[in-house]
This record gives sequence, structure tokens and C-alpha cells, in this order.
Amino acid sequence: MKRIENIIVTICSIGVGIAFLTLIVAVLIQVLGRTFSSSPVWTEELTRFAMLFTVTFGAGLSLRSGDLVNVDVVCESLPGQWPRRLRLFSAIATFALCVFLIAPAWKYVSIGALQTSAALRLRMDYIHFSVFALLIGIALFALMRIVAMVFYSDDGQPENRTDI
Amino acid sequence: MGLFILVTVFVFGLVVGIPVAITLGLSSLSYLLYMGIPAVVMPQKMYAGMDVFVLLSIPGFILAGNLMNQGGITERIIRFANGLVGWIRGGLGLTNVGASMLFGGITGTAVADAASIGGVMIPGMKKAGYPADFSAAVTAASSTVGPIIPPSVPMIIVGALSGISVGKMFLAGAIPGILMGVAMMVTTYLIARKKNFPKQEWQGVAEIGRSFAGAFWALAMTGLILYGLLSGIATPTETAIIASIYAVVIGLFVYRELPLRKIPKIVVESAVAASGILVLVGFANVFGWILVSERIPQMIATAVLSFTDNKFVVILIINILLLLVGMFMETIAALIILFVPLLTLATTVGIDPLHFATFAVLNLMIGLTTPPLGVCLFVCAGIARQPLTPVVIAILPFIATNIIVLLLVSYVPPIATWLPSVLLP
Repeated sequence: MKRIENIIVTICSIGVGIAFLTLIVAVLIQVLGRTFSSSPVWTEELTRFAMLFTVTFGAGLSLRSGDLVNVDVVCESLPGQWPRRLRLFSAIATFALCVFLIAPAWKYVSIGALQTSAALRLRMDYIHFSVFALLIGIALFALMRIVAMVFYSDDGQPENRTDI
Repeated sequence: MGLFILVTVFVFGLVVGIPVAITLGLSSLSYLLYMGIPAVVMPQKMYAGMDVFVLLSIPGFILAGNLMNQGGITERIIRFANGLVGWIRGGLGLTNVGASMLFGGITGTAVADAASIGGVMIPGMKKAGYPADFSAAVTAASSTVGPIIPPSVPMIIVGALSGISVGKMFLAGAIPGILMGVAMMVTTYLIARKKNFPKQEWQGVAEIGRSFAGAFWALAMTGLILYGLLSGIATPTETAIIASIYAVVIGLFVYRELPLRKIPKIVVESAVAASGILVLVGFANVFGWILVSERIPQMIATAVLSFTDNKFVVILIINILLLLVGMFMETIAALIILFVPLLTLATTVGIDPLHFATFAVLNLMIGLTTPPLGVCLFVCAGIARQPLTPVVIAILPFIATNIIVLLLVSYVPPIATWLPSVLLP
């Protein structure tokens, strides 16, 4: 289980890193292009798309790290096993929402096949896919939390949150 | 009935501890299903919410702040602040506030400020004879200036929600942020005099000069960001990325305290933190769309206006509501959900949107230091190894100070609007 989780975390971390670096490079090309002649028209669009895919890969990780914040003041102050039960319920609710939305999200992806982006001439279903994959990512990390809590006595607490 | 379901599921989700973004999604989905609206609206609205040009700057500003934070700025900023105000009674408390103000111009996030400055200042203050609860309280309270002094993630989000330029939003926060810092310094000094806290020797102008030289490259990032935005030569996203590159150069080659091997981790962690915010923005966009469809902003405006149309009373009502919400809800979530409905009310009684946006952000920042959900309060009490209650008692004078500043900013609009009107007419 831990091995599978590590593989998924590694894939998402690499994905989020590549997407964010793409965003950075696109912005730098934009700035340098404008400084020395004129910016290519596609950089702004690439920046937006890179950010969407940054969120796609980062969404599940943010659930894991606790960056997807919750209000735990009530549930964590309850006695006995209640905080753990509610954390499990929370993970199940998260998983259920994302799984329910997968079919509508796929429909939204399909709608994108009819459009192309203005500058990069990319089919928009490739870009709409970011929302579909985002939901799968969150569902996957929620499922891993559920499995860890049910079968491995995990407490269901997020990993260290990025303190920013 | 649809609205009842929306609100019930939302409140239930928050209470049982489901992430705020997911709670917004669950409540929105419940509403859509009940009303027979196709669920495909949700991914569509989520996409539209996240694909907003201004929001592109959020990951960059978070990255720039994190890189600087890991690159050895904390001690340098504290040393500079200490040189300036450490010789006054309660000097380390004043240094703490001053360092937060300078730090806020670099990272713009309160929790980072509380953790970084608190990690150095709280043990230092305890060692110098300051009570642990006071040390934690002054650190937590002063950390809230971070998201008010530019740059600021909440200000970017407000810009995206209202259409006000990020440059104007940043400028609008500058004077209120400085005012808040100065007011907290006065409070610290008064407490220090009453309780006879220690002071340090005057270290001389030369030490101020030396410490300023040490902190200069970190502080210059604030100037770089403001220059980028105000001169019009760069968009907020470009400014944020240039600031990140600047932070890498300073951390690697000037301060030499940013390990090269740490950079990939910082990049990923910054991107993950930004993702958490943007997922929240995505789901909140669906929720917000439902509120607008149900004409909630107009209903709130009508309800309040049936009671009073006095601008001053409306400002008071908005502030009380935001203070209460800020006590129980995460800042950015509260901002995304409440900003648009309350903006409608504010503009109806003639409040300038820029002015409203500034005091709304300032108000919600106070919530970072109030129980039961004051994140900065928890961080600082943890560093000071103090139970929450004495720290809550010690922070009360600072909360009162911040509320006075909030009222000043709320009732004297030029405090927020003058600087943007001069520099970005």
C-alpha cells in the first residue's frame, strides 16, 4: 500500500513540477520576447494551460498535505474515536463527490472536442481534461486515505501542511 | 428548498471537517441535483473559475516567498528591525512587529511569517525575560500584517473576484498594513512600560547601516514587485515569476543559504499549496454562481437596506459579519464566498469597491488570531509551548488594536484609496 502511494505521490510531484516549470518558462519567454522584440502570441495561453495542469497534479497532493483546508475545530474536539470517524467520513464524502463528478466531467471534456484554442490551436478537450484528471486525482488520494484508515489503522490526519 | 439544501449541506460539511472546497462542491451538487440542473455545469464552472488570468500570479508569489524564506532572510530582517527599535522599552516585542512588517513585504502570507519569525523571536524573547504568552501573542498578532502589506494572495483573489487591478489592490493595502504595524508597536510599547519589560542597549547608527546592508537584497524584492506592477512593464504573473528568479539568485549567490537541492522541493510544495487554493476557487465558483442565480447578493442588500441605508451602519454590519465569519472560517474560503454578495451591498450604499475590498481583507486577517480557528495563534502557542488560553488572553489588546485600525480604514476611505489614486490614477 505504502509503495503504491509513494509511486502515485512521485508521479504527481513530477507532474506538478513539470507543469509549474512550463508556466515559469512560458512567462519568461513572454518577458524576454517583449523586452527584445515582441512576445509570441501563444505564451499567455500556454501559461494558463500550464497552471490548470499544475492544479490537476497538485490537487490530490494538496488533499494529502492538508493544503486543501478544512475546519476541524468541532470534529477534533469530540471525545474518543469520533475525530477519527469523522476524518474517515470526510474522506468518503470527498471520494464520493469526485467519483460522482467524473461522468459529467468527461462530458465536459467531450464538449471541448468541438473547440480549439485561439493561439496554440490545441483541441480544447485536451485542456478540459485537466478538470477530469483533477477530480480523479482527488478521488485517488481520498481512496488511499480511506484504505489506510480502514485496513492499516492510519489516523487519517493530513501529512505536513506547507506552512505558507 | 434548493437554497435550504445548499446551506444545510454546506454547514454540515464544515462542521464535520470535510475540506472547505469539497464542502462547497457537495453543497453545490446537492442543489443542482435537487433543481434538476445537469451536473456538467460543475466541471464547466470549476474550469471557468480557475482559468482566470489574474490568478496565474498566485503560484509565483507563493514560490517567491518560499524561496526567500528558505534563503536566509529571517535572521537578517530581525537584526535590521532590532537595530531600529530594539533599544526602546519592550524592544524585542517591537522588533517582532517590525520584522513582521518587513517580512510581509516579501512573503505576504501570515502563517509563514508566524512560523519563521516566531521560530527565532519567541525563544529569544523568552530567554530575555519576556513572558512566553506575550511573546507568542505579539508574534501571532503582528504576522497578520503580512497579507495586507503587498504582495498578498488574498488581495490577488479579491482582484480576480472584483475586477480591480492587482496593482491597485496591493497599493490599497500598503498604508493600512503600515498603520496596523505601527499601532501594534504602540500597544507593545504601552504593555512593555506597564509590565517593565527589558530594553537593549542602543547599538548605534553603524549597526543599523550594517544590518540594513545585510537585509537589503531581501527587502529589495518588495521594491521589485511594486516597480513591476506600478510601472506597467509587467503583469502580476510576470512580476511574480521575476520575483521568484530574483529570490533564487539572492538565495544562491548573495546570501548563499538556499541549498540548490532544496529548490525542486520548494517548487513542488509551492505548486501544491497554490493548487489547494485554486481547487477551492474552482468549487467556490460553482457555489458563487448558484448564489448569484438565486439572487442572494440582492436579497442580502435588500434585507440590510430595509433595516438601514445609512452607509456608516452598513459598514459596521459588514465588519461585524466578517469578524464573526473570520473566527470560524478559513480566510480565503470566507473571502471567495462572501466577497461578491457583500460587494453588491457595499456598492449599493455608495462604498468604493477598492475601499470595501481593502477593509474586507483586513477584517478577515484578524480572524487568523482569534479562537477557535486562529491559525497563527495555534502556530505561535505551539512554538512558545504554551496552552492556548494564556496566549488568547495576551493577544486581546492586539486584537482590540487591530479592530481600531480596521474601523479607521473602514470609516476613512483615503487610508486605502489615496495611494492607488495617486500612483495608479
